[in-house]
Amino acid sequence: MSSYYDIDAILTDAQKVPCTFELTVPGLGFLEGNMSGDMKQGSKVELPLWLGEMLALSQSLNTSSLVTLDPPSALSPRVLNALKADPRTVDLRALAPHFYDLGARILELFEEEEMIEVLSDTFKARAAVIADQAHNPRGALGEGADFMRGLDENERQLFRAAHDSAKAVRTWMTDLKQK
Amino acid sequence: MALPLPPGLTPPEIAFLCEMELVTVIPRQRLEGLELLGGRIKPLNPPHRTNIPLWLALLLKRQRRANILPPAWLNAHSLNAILDHEIEHEDTFSPPPRLPPQPSNNTLPTSPPFLANNTADAAPDALPYHWLELGEMLLEAASDDFEEPDNVRKLLRDLREVRMAKLRKSADVLDAGGGFQMNGVGGMEVGESRSFVTGVIDGLRKIAASREQQRKDREREELENGYSGTAGDYDDDEMDMQ
Repeated sequence: MSSYYDIDAILTDAQKVPCTFELTVPGLGFLEGNMSGDMKQGSKVELPLWLGEMLALSQSLNTSSLVTLDPPSALSPRVLNALKADPRTVDLRALAPHFYDLGARILELFEEEEMIEVLSDTFKARAAVIADQAHNPRGALGEGADFMRGLDENERQLFRAAHDSAKAVRTWMTDLKQK
Repeated sequence: MALPLPPGLTPPEIAFLCEMELVTVIPRQRLEGLELLGGRIKPLNPPHRTNIPLWLALLLKRQRRANILPPAWLNAHSLNAILDHEIEHEDTFSPPPRLPPQPSNNTLPTSPPFLANNTADAAPDALPYHWLELGEMLLEAASDDFEEPDNVRKLLRDLREVRMAKLRKSADVLDAGGGFQMNGVGGMEVGESRSFVTGVIDGLRKIAASREQQRKDREREELENGYSGTAGDYDDDEMDMQ
């Protein structure tokens, strides 16, 4: 879907997700920091999304998958409840720099109708605030500073787009006066 | 790699398109008719009013060869009425000027700048497509032709604020299936809000992409299994998403 060279997609894939090994894997202990040992069955490791996904989806000959994936802590029920309560006060950037992209990738793997709803509502509610901040000349510095720091990468691009277009119109108006 | 310009039109480009709008001038000097690529411009005979394109009107105004008559909607009284309408109706924009009757059934409807929405005898109760650009340019170049330029300028700013706030609020209703009525939104406003609105829609579609994929898979399965009941719906939905 996204480009192979899309830096945001690459960074999303590099985010860690908790995985549980279902089998004992010889020589894979280095993932745990155990340089020469084996990966024990049932051990929990944080793996990058791309690796966890590969291991979870690949089927070996005896058809049981190597690891099971769990939703990352950024998308835990606790966070989703906080988002349901008030989307504006959650610091998404601290949870995951590519929060929505991570959510979309996780939703490809898990079927969670509710998570889609929560994420969409969050994005909509925050987008309205972002638009207000982008049009307000002092928005990003004054009382909105905390909110602006908590924006994830998608929201930052949205802010930049809204801000740039408002600025372009303002520039045009001042240019008009100088003629 | 990519063009430095964002998609859509930049404000100077929108203003450039606006300069084709016809405005009414009262010439102070004679000027012979001009044969231009964009059409013939009638000879100017003082003190007869003539409709000429905005770019020429601004040029003549700067050379003090003509006075510009502001369009009928660009005065404090009309703008006040429109502003009241905007504040009263929180969800819709004030309606655009009515289209003139078409000469015959098989002609395409005309659109700005080929409608005479900004001449002195235009509709006084509606904002035309290029209202913001035209108002700003006229106030800048020909403020002495207005009765109360400062008041008009203030009202234009107020209108812009009210309408931009409405456009920003649209983020709440934008969704895969949702819509937002943008009747009467002007050219500069579309240009200003384009990147934000498309950004929101893109973000929401990215989040709901997995649900979309599931739905398509399910419908494809149903189609293959011979339940043709939803076949028609499937095609319709595909169109919506594009």
